[in-house]
Amino acid sequence: MLSKILPEKIWSIIDRKVNLKAVNEIRFRADKPIIVCVSGKNYFLSENGATSNLSSALYASKIVIEDIIFRASECSIYSVNEQIKKGFIVTENGVRIGIGGNIVEENGVIKTMTNFYSCNIRIPHNVKNCSLSAFPFIVTESGVENTLVISPPGCGKTTFLKDFVNQLGERNNALNVLLLDERGELDTKLSSNFYDKISFSTKKVGFENGIRSLSPDLIITDEVGQEEDIDAILYASTSGVKVLATTHADSIETFCHKPLFQKLIQEKIFRRYVLLSKRNGPGTFEGIYNENFSRLSSKF
Amino acid sequence: MKYVLIVVIFCICVFVGYITYSKYNKRKKFYASLIMLAEKLSVEINFSRERLKILIENFDAGTKKNLLGIDEGFVSYLDKKNELTINDIFQKANCLKQDEKEFILLFLKTLGRSDVENQTKEITSFIQRFNEKKEETEKEHKKYGSLSLKLSIVAGLFFTILLI
Repeated sequence: MLSKILPEKIWSIIDRKVNLKAVNEIRFRADKPIIVCVSGKNYFLSENGATSNLSSALYASKIVIEDIIFRASECSIYSVNEQIKKGFIVTENGVRIGIGGNIVEENGVIKTMTNFYSCNIRIPHNVKNCSLSAFPFIVTESGVENTLVISPPGCGKTTFLKDFVNQLGERNNALNVLLLDERGELDTKLSSNFYDKISFSTKKVGFENGIRSLSPDLIITDEVGQEEDIDAILYASTSGVKVLATTHADSIETFCHKPLFQKLIQEKIFRRYVLLSKRNGPGTFEGIYNENFSRLSSKF
Repeated sequence: MKYVLIVVIFCICVFVGYITYSKYNKRKKFYASLIMLAEKLSVEINFSRERLKILIENFDAGTKKNLLGIDEGFVSYLDKKNELTINDIFQKANCLKQDEKEFILLFLKTLGRSDVENQTKEITSFIQRFNEKKEETEKEHKKYGSLSLKLSIVAGLFFTILLI
């Protein structure tokens, strides 16, 4: 997929001289060096692959960035404008491209984004068994616990969710799983046969429609971050549907101070909190906590 | 032998006339088809928002053949198989003038580059220019196309009479 998006020269370097399996992100900023994140560490991209030497770094131009975004939209920016308005494009293979540019607003409504000057290609990886250590704490004899996966960006939350779906599928758990895939990132290379999905919908709409029409036992969704997401989770919990979600925070302490989550914390909606970091590479488990934020296990 | 020569000369004259006629005819058909393509793109981008490649590939085959291969060239560019340059896109479009090629290339360069609203406006503005060109080619076709065919027949007859 990257070969279709990236300029030929950059693709040939990444393909031949960088271990693509270890690449997490590639960042392009206008007139700045191209950055490649390999195993959680940032390097400059040079003719000879990833390097720490700035003098040999390749630079991105605005034209290159615009072309990457054009190619990522399958040469049809108009068809992905709703995504661009939110600041990203997701390709058919689940590669998410974050975009920086000028937001065009009219009467307080975002119409589009133009004048792209940076983009960040996030390459998804399926890491088999990456959720396995946490799995017994989330799926117990009494069923699945409401769980929130917490980490800063780029620490493997989405990868965790994808592996969790596969783990459920492998165990043939008699659970109806609904993937609420707001950005089209989750449903890529999933081996499980036991999930439905609603894509490119807001959480509010996805939760309501999904619960009504697909009667799921568990809803899995990525990146909770708005008031209406919290309402959707509350709606699910009062409807008897379990939720596995993710959010951004760098520690349990930081998370506990987020005003948005106070209601969920006080009502003890989530009974498990999984903390991830990229201390030893993306997906490093820092601990699992219960609804009172007592550590259940940290031996990973 | 003399009569064979007369027939050959007559045929050559008519053939030259036909080539000129068909050049003007191709130009006329090209602009008519280009406008149809642009209108289809404008409508589909507004409603189905389907990808550009699919829209062009699904365009009516009968009309597409009048586009002198620019659709194929453009799809190859979308597939990253060639560049968006005059040489790559207009390989089969010899009947178009340089400034026309440049203008059509500009049209192709704008496709897929903006949101629905702006894309539609851009296409509409190009359609206006293409319509002007279409009218121009229709006039050319009437004036020079038919004339060249008639002249070639007259020239053929002239040589025939001369040789007889």
